[in-house]
Amino acid sequence: MIDKVRITVNGFQWEGRVKPGQTLLEVLRDTMGLTGAKKGCDQGECGACVVLLNGRPVNSCLILAIDVDGDEVTTVEGLVGDEAGIIKEAFVQAGAVQCGFCSPGMILAVKALLDQSPDPAAEDVEEAISGHLCRCTGYSRIVQAVKQAAVKLNSMKGTEG
Amino acid sequence: MSVSGELIGKGLPLLDGLEKVAGKVVFTADLKLPGMLCARALRSPHAHARVREIDVSRAKKVTGVRAIVTGLDMSFPKYSVAGQPVLDERLLTREVRYIGDEVAVVAAVDDDAAAEALHAIRVEYEELPAVFDSLEAMAPGAPLVHGDQESNIPHKMEFSRGDVDRGFKESAVIVEESFRTPLQYHGYLEPHAAVAQWEAGEKVTLWIPMQSPTLGRITYSTALGVREDQVRIIQMPIGGAFGGKLEYKLHALCALISRVAGQPVKMVNTREEDFRAGLPRVPMRVRMKLGVRRDGTLAAKETEIVADSGAYVNYAHGILLSACHRHDNLYRIQNLRTKGFLVYTNKVATGCFRGFGNPQIHFAYESILDMAAAELNMDPVEFRLRNATQTGDITPHGWKVLSCGLSDCIRQSAQAADWGKKRRAERSGERFARGVGIACCLHVSGNRTFLPFFDGASSYIRINEQGRAIVFIGETDLGQGARTAFAQIAAHELSIAPEDVSVSMVDTDISPHGLGTFGDRATTLGGNAVRLAAIDAREKLFAIAATQLALAPGDLEVASGKIYSKAEPEKNLTVAEAAKLGWAQLAGGLITGHGVYFPPDVTMVDKKTKYGNISCAYPFAAQVAEVEVDRMTGRVKVISMVAAHDLGKAINPLLAEGQIQGAVAQGIGFALMEDMGLKDGKVRNCSFERYNMPRIKDMPPVKSILIESDDPNGPYGAKGLAEPALTPTAPAIANAIYHAVGARIRELPITPEKLLAALREKDGK
Repeated sequence: MIDKVRITVNGFQWEGRVKPGQTLLEVLRDTMGLTGAKKGCDQGECGACVVLLNGRPVNSCLILAIDVDGDEVTTVEGLVGDEAGIIKEAFVQAGAVQCGFCSPGMILAVKALLDQSPDPAAEDVEEAISGHLCRCTGYSRIVQAVKQAAVKLNSMKGTEG
Repeated sequence: MSVSGELIGKGLPLLDGLEKVAGKVVFTADLKLPGMLCARALRSPHAHARVREIDVSRAKKVTGVRAIVTGLDMSFPKYSVAGQPVLDERLLTREVRYIGDEVAVVAAVDDDAAAEALHAIRVEYEELPAVFDSLEAMAPGAPLVHGDQESNIPHKMEFSRGDVDRGFKESAVIVEESFRTPLQYHGYLEPHAAVAQWEAGEKVTLWIPMQSPTLGRITYSTALGVREDQVRIIQMPIGGAFGGKLEYKLHALCALISRVAGQPVKMVNTREEDFRAGLPRVPMRVRMKLGVRRDGTLAAKETEIVADSGAYVNYAHGILLSACHRHDNLYRIQNLRTKGFLVYTNKVATGCFRGFGNPQIHFAYESILDMAAAELNMDPVEFRLRNATQTGDITPHGWKVLSCGLSDCIRQSAQAADWGKKRRAERSGERFARGVGIACCLHVSGNRTFLPFFDGASSYIRINEQGRAIVFIGETDLGQGARTAFAQIAAHELSIAPEDVSVSMVDTDISPHGLGTFGDRATTLGGNAVRLAAIDAREKLFAIAATQLALAPGDLEVASGKIYSKAEPEKNLTVAEAAKLGWAQLAGGLITGHGVYFPPDVTMVDKKTKYGNISCAYPFAAQVAEVEVDRMTGRVKVISMVAAHDLGKAINPLLAEGQIQGAVAQGIGFALMEDMGLKDGKVRNCSFERYNMPRIKDMPPVKSILIESDDPNGPYGAKGLAEPALTPTAPAIANAIYHAVGARIRELPITPEKLLAALREKDGK
């Protein structure tokens, strides 16, 4: 059995058929070619596949594609613009990225965090990243990067406002 | 020197960092080739069994299946990893030796079809007696893991130095203890993956994330029964390696099934497979006896190591040797006697993991040192300082220590951790108790012990007609930033911007066949090669510029992308202009610099005595842990870590500190959390939910201190760093726990259960 779904992915309408057991991650990667979302465990335990579903971070390997009909999905490829650029730049400058396999999922989680709380405390950052495994960096630079990004984003908004 | 690049010592962020965070880096699992199939391996459910029959008739009928190969279809040549003499593996086996051993491989149009076909294969096994414990496996009459070998001990070694008996006679304190370390999984976020494609069935191209394409090519050609030059390896970005991706059987299996299918094939481990059939850290049992004189100097040491290789040797022979003799060079000690045994068991084969045997043995050594210090009533910092190896030492194993910042590491880490005050603080008997502990280690920068080929590195640099450089080198980037460091070195010598240097991924049809990245060799050996190649290219640019400017090459200097006359700086041309002239003069050939670096005065160790200077530069480290122990639950919280590392010279401090932060996290996992739980040879915790790796909330603040001892052989003085950064963490934590509550844990990981049992035992006394 194959079913049709309609999803808004990175601002573009996508309509296609998906298998009943197919996860959102598989459709993003295999059907749409959006390989920024990574398959690290396929069990919702590492966070490498995180995307934003209607603005909230989710493990896309745990979500059936058929269940997101009518929803909005943002992958790292759709994370463009100045704000996203500041977050990415902060990760690179702080040394919060090494191999880069976990980074796209983290960047999306951080984007969602900063959308919700523009000036997060260290505990908020830890909470937002707690579902993400990184084996390279030891995490401390990630907290630094998020704080630096928050400062820059706030000053940007301040000058705009 | 005719340069002023001023890039050495600058904390440049990763040059490919933005690509990575934007998700634009194409990893192996992201690759798609026209007509590409997906393949999966059928793995043994038995720890030891003979494969009687395999029925693939139902599997072949699964829609989408294109090819199936089993161990009974053909005879696969025996092989092992490059340079390891005991050939004990085949690509597909007729006798499975651990739960996870590969018996068949299936290729299909998609992953679902391949998985369905695996379920449809019927294998008839005849179960054989299995052995899981390394000591039981050594005993006479134990079931043989490899029936064609005489025993379960494929490698053993024994050597001694000085007069051990006399050393013990001189000792005021003798401590004898046994220690154990567990199976630790690498936990890289990117599971093993490969893509293979054959040209006319004659030459295979493999796209793989691996640390040593050159060594892998040697191994895989043997395993496949083809010539080395029939295997081309194109290195893909690596999503974490830590030793686990030096080389791996799945790569060759992917080539095999692609050849049979006649189509390109992708193979990716599921996370469960990666746990079950990865190459985790070699577990060790260590018995150690240490004698110390009244004045606190080390008098004698006896060590016996039993290393559990699992089902195959892989690199465990080299790891055992490293465990047997590397730590002997950390402190001044003359009288040594060591025995090491590598033992087969019917468990997952083990392999390289950050530290290469050193974290295992340093846990034992640095723990027993603290036990001896306690008996002598000496401060552990003072004790270590009294014995620390110094610059200029030639150790009993023949190591020539040309730079040594160990004493500085000890002093500075202790000072930063406020050692004196915390050590003297009153120990209360309350529920939460704090303590501090120190541990040290050393490592190599390239390791000449176990690979028979050569040591060193080679690089070429091509300057294009715009004056931009491409660096070719055999040493790979594992995410640590080797490509950024190489670009920095080349840009420094050529006096161009680092953004104008790109470092090519290894392609064995194009790149030098260097040995790759392991043994902390990339920065020191690879960096030297890049430096020499850049200097060679610069001299060629100077020759062209000299002709153009009607000057002698010796009259020239280069700075900020300009080559100019030292005497008359207004006579100049840009590097780009010189490069363009070179392009025309060479009829399109482009300027190419070549650098070959052989580490001086480094030799293969003597086969029997293991004597020899195995590396050109030895890095040292000391770490101090502060912990809080909950006596009621047995939980240990690491409050802080201070990590002081003698890396010779920080070519890029930002990336260097990143290595320390990440390694300490893995060290905390090794100390307190990580253990592949085995029952009857089966790994019980094959998921990130059940295998407990540090997450962000498990991490304490880590203060890193970079000690620059300026090694004469290192490029700009640089030595290795990334491996020793993990080694002292676990013993420092174990020593801190002892300081906090007086309980000595001899078996990693230090779980609440073990600690509670030790506290009960202690209180019962």
